[in-house]
Amino acid sequence: MNKESSRRGGPRAALARFLTNERWTQITVPIFCIILTLIVSAVVLLVLGKKPGTAFYSFLAGNGFLQKANYGSGSGMISDFFSFLNIMAPMLLAALAFIFGYRCGLFNIGISGQMLLSGYVATVFIGYSELPGAVARPLVLIVGIIVGGLAGAFIGFLKYRFNIHEVVSTIMVNYIISYVTAFRINLKYIDMISRSSKTISSAARLTFTKVQIAGCNCNIPLGIIIAILAAILVHFVFEKTVFGFELRAVGSNRNAALYTGVNVGKQMISAMMISGMLAGLAGVTYYLGYTNTIIPRELVSMGYDSIATALLGNNSPIGAIFSSVLITIFQNGASYMSSAVGVAKEIASVITGILLLFSACGGYFRRLAANYLRKLADEEEEAKKAAAAMAAEKGGEDK
Amino acid sequence: MGQEREEYIVEMRHITKRFPGIVANDDVTIQARQGEIYALLGENGAGKSTLMSMLYGMYEPDHGEIYIRGQKVNFRSASDAADANIGMVHQHFKLVENFTVAENITLGIEPMKKGLGIFPYVDLSEASRKIAEMSKSYGLEVDPKAVISDLGVSIRQRVEIMKMLYRQAEILIFDEPTAILTPQEVEYLLKSLEELRKGGKTVILITHKIEEIKKVADRCAILRRGKLIDVLDVRTTSTQEMANLMVGRTVALQTDKSEAKFGDPVLVVKDLSVRNEDKVQVVKDVSFTIRAGEVFAVAGVSGNGQVELADAIAGLVKTEKGSVTLLGKDITNDAIRDRVEEGITYIPEDRQKFGVFLDFNLRSNLALRRYYKEPFSHKGILNFDESQQYAERLIGEYDIRSGQGAKTSLRSMSGGNQQKAIVAREIEQHSPLIIFVQPTRGLDMGAIENIHKQILQERDRGAAILLISLELDEVMGLADTIGVIYNGQLLKIADAGTLSSQEIGRYMMGVTDNE
Repeated sequence: MNKESSRRGGPRAALARFLTNERWTQITVPIFCIILTLIVSAVVLLVLGKKPGTAFYSFLAGNGFLQKANYGSGSGMISDFFSFLNIMAPMLLAALAFIFGYRCGLFNIGISGQMLLSGYVATVFIGYSELPGAVARPLVLIVGIIVGGLAGAFIGFLKYRFNIHEVVSTIMVNYIISYVTAFRINLKYIDMISRSSKTISSAARLTFTKVQIAGCNCNIPLGIIIAILAAILVHFVFEKTVFGFELRAVGSNRNAALYTGVNVGKQMISAMMISGMLAGLAGVTYYLGYTNTIIPRELVSMGYDSIATALLGNNSPIGAIFSSVLITIFQNGASYMSSAVGVAKEIASVITGILLLFSACGGYFRRLAANYLRKLADEEEEAKKAAAAMAAEKGGEDK
Repeated sequence: MGQEREEYIVEMRHITKRFPGIVANDDVTIQARQGEIYALLGENGAGKSTLMSMLYGMYEPDHGEIYIRGQKVNFRSASDAADANIGMVHQHFKLVENFTVAENITLGIEPMKKGLGIFPYVDLSEASRKIAEMSKSYGLEVDPKAVISDLGVSIRQRVEIMKMLYRQAEILIFDEPTAILTPQEVEYLLKSLEELRKGGKTVILITHKIEEIKKVADRCAILRRGKLIDVLDVRTTSTQEMANLMVGRTVALQTDKSEAKFGDPVLVVKDLSVRNEDKVQVVKDVSFTIRAGEVFAVAGVSGNGQVELADAIAGLVKTEKGSVTLLGKDITNDAIRDRVEEGITYIPEDRQKFGVFLDFNLRSNLALRRYYKEPFSHKGILNFDESQQYAERLIGEYDIRSGQGAKTSLRSMSGGNQQKAIVAREIEQHSPLIIFVQPTRGLDMGAIENIHKQILQERDRGAAILLISLELDEVMGLADTIGVIYNGQLLKIADAGTLSSQEIGRYMMGVTDNE
């Protein structure tokens, strides 16, 4: 008995309890995954003969969290930090787009396409116009929301009306959007030198470029404020509103939602539409903020990376803020890390890959921990039962 | 002791199998001899299929042992069972639609040949010959070259049987084989079962249809609520006796029922027909009326359309024809939420599938009928204080046990307490019509008694109650009016006092007055 209880208090059991704790599992599991990632990537770096500490430092320095060894003229920590925010904004919005569908039981992998379509429409209609910034920027956001929302609602409608699985339709629609926009750009808007679309007017761009702060040229993204506000809003909708409750109900148990009287079809279309709206916002902050041009026939990988970001953030909008910070640190810091440590830039992708792999296993780790705890409890019970059975059998065998 | 065991080809000893919340098999022992048809009789949920799934290697028993030809076996998968010459025909066939009969039968053990001595290919010509031969000798006509998607259910079933025979199965398990067949096809199947017995095969037949057992089986084990009730010699036992044992009479209901005071009609159902997802008509021209203060109980063997009837009234499935009128208003085509608002509450049969959100906490689950209304929400914003107070009141009044009060996730609660929460939520609506489907399934005696008391309280308040139950005791104990459903039709509607349980049992088997 003593042995049992000592085992129950062992470090493995403590770790298992840490991971399964009802209240904190949303946070403890991702932290566990991140620690595992750091350990494994440290091993990878050591195998390559590099110092993991320096590498991790350079990732942070590359994003303006820590001081680099030296800076070029007109740049500094603060400009690095703003460029980090500049790329993080669309990533967070795209992750929110995925989360919004996912919580309603819909798997939106058409985020790239929705981003491209809204970016394209906003570029053509607002980006190439002569409107002043005070009109153009809000219009860009509105166009992004409307176009993305329509693209999403179309997917939701196909699912509701014709029972076409959203994964299939979004993949197909991605191709259609990619080729149709490429065709239009090549026909009308191509810049013959860069082989991408002509750049937009700076009045329509959501990132204010070359703003002087403390002697540094900073690209200040409007998108990050929108993204953080969107995360808070999505959180509010899910947790505090009737609408969000019904969305989660459909995602959690479609039959029970039907039984409760939720209009399941309407909620699915709404969820897909709002997911598309967020993707649209991600699209305009990417194509009319982070960049100012569209490369034809290229779907940004961010649309897919955002799925992993959402997953790492446990499909919570607030969690997504943190996970998009983390993923962006690795992706955006790659080139500085590469030059500072003298290792191929692609190692950052390897680390992101490891992180995504582990975070995809988050549920598995939790279940593993839960099973381990259950086994401990069962073993204890079995031991008791076996003792009782042994006592009973002794009586029975004589017969 | 070894001698005694070898007499039986299949022996399952003291089998216990638990699933979260229920004991599917509780210390069940069955023994089948070579060359007999051994029937397993019991209502749905009695544990027949679970028991056979263990024999077929799909589950492992928690306790107990399985012996095949006197040898102890430990099946870990269906292929282990197949190696021991055990075959099973499932309720849902496992055939590849666009393959031929011969391809399906040989699937996984395809006869290979080598062209030019090098290139392997599948040669079905000999297999087809063998299949044709076997189908003749067992009276199971199948064309080896026919494509499955062109074949009807009864022929597909023959293919499944041939599949087992081709794999040299000696012990053949049939899970409710007649459920999908027409009476003529049933006759044909029963004849082929006899052919199989003649051929020395052992047949284990899972069913809840007593007439079939009476026709072909040698012995019959009766299961109820996971327990083995009795093993009978079919020839010397009457149909009535078997029916009594199957439905069970051990739980005598002691409900203090006051005199019924009927009011105006609350629910009028007229000529209602419903088709299920497979387009089969499962409710046929059902008409009945429930008055205020009346418990109308629908008795019947599971799978005769009673759940679909309840779903249609609650609006979960579409009606094919007929009308549903609530308090004088036609609600046949109303949305579910409108029906709730107009006064229907529904305690569904499958509580985890329909009744609750396992991932949500108790507070949210208790508020499911109200969250969208004042004061539980205001202009679309949820008011958690209100639902918290409401949940706390219900937890107290209905004695719902949960680890962390209103914040407990439903998943961590026991089945009985989940059901208590559903019943509390629905009764609190104080609706004119309450539909209870299997409200006490899987609950212990105390909880059952509690729910029965609540049903009668609601009736005395003046609610119309539609009670659908597979437990005849429950029906007899609570009903003011009893309707017996068989094959989607209400065969008999009568005052509870005027029907004996034997009569009800007969109607449940589909025997009508004029026979």
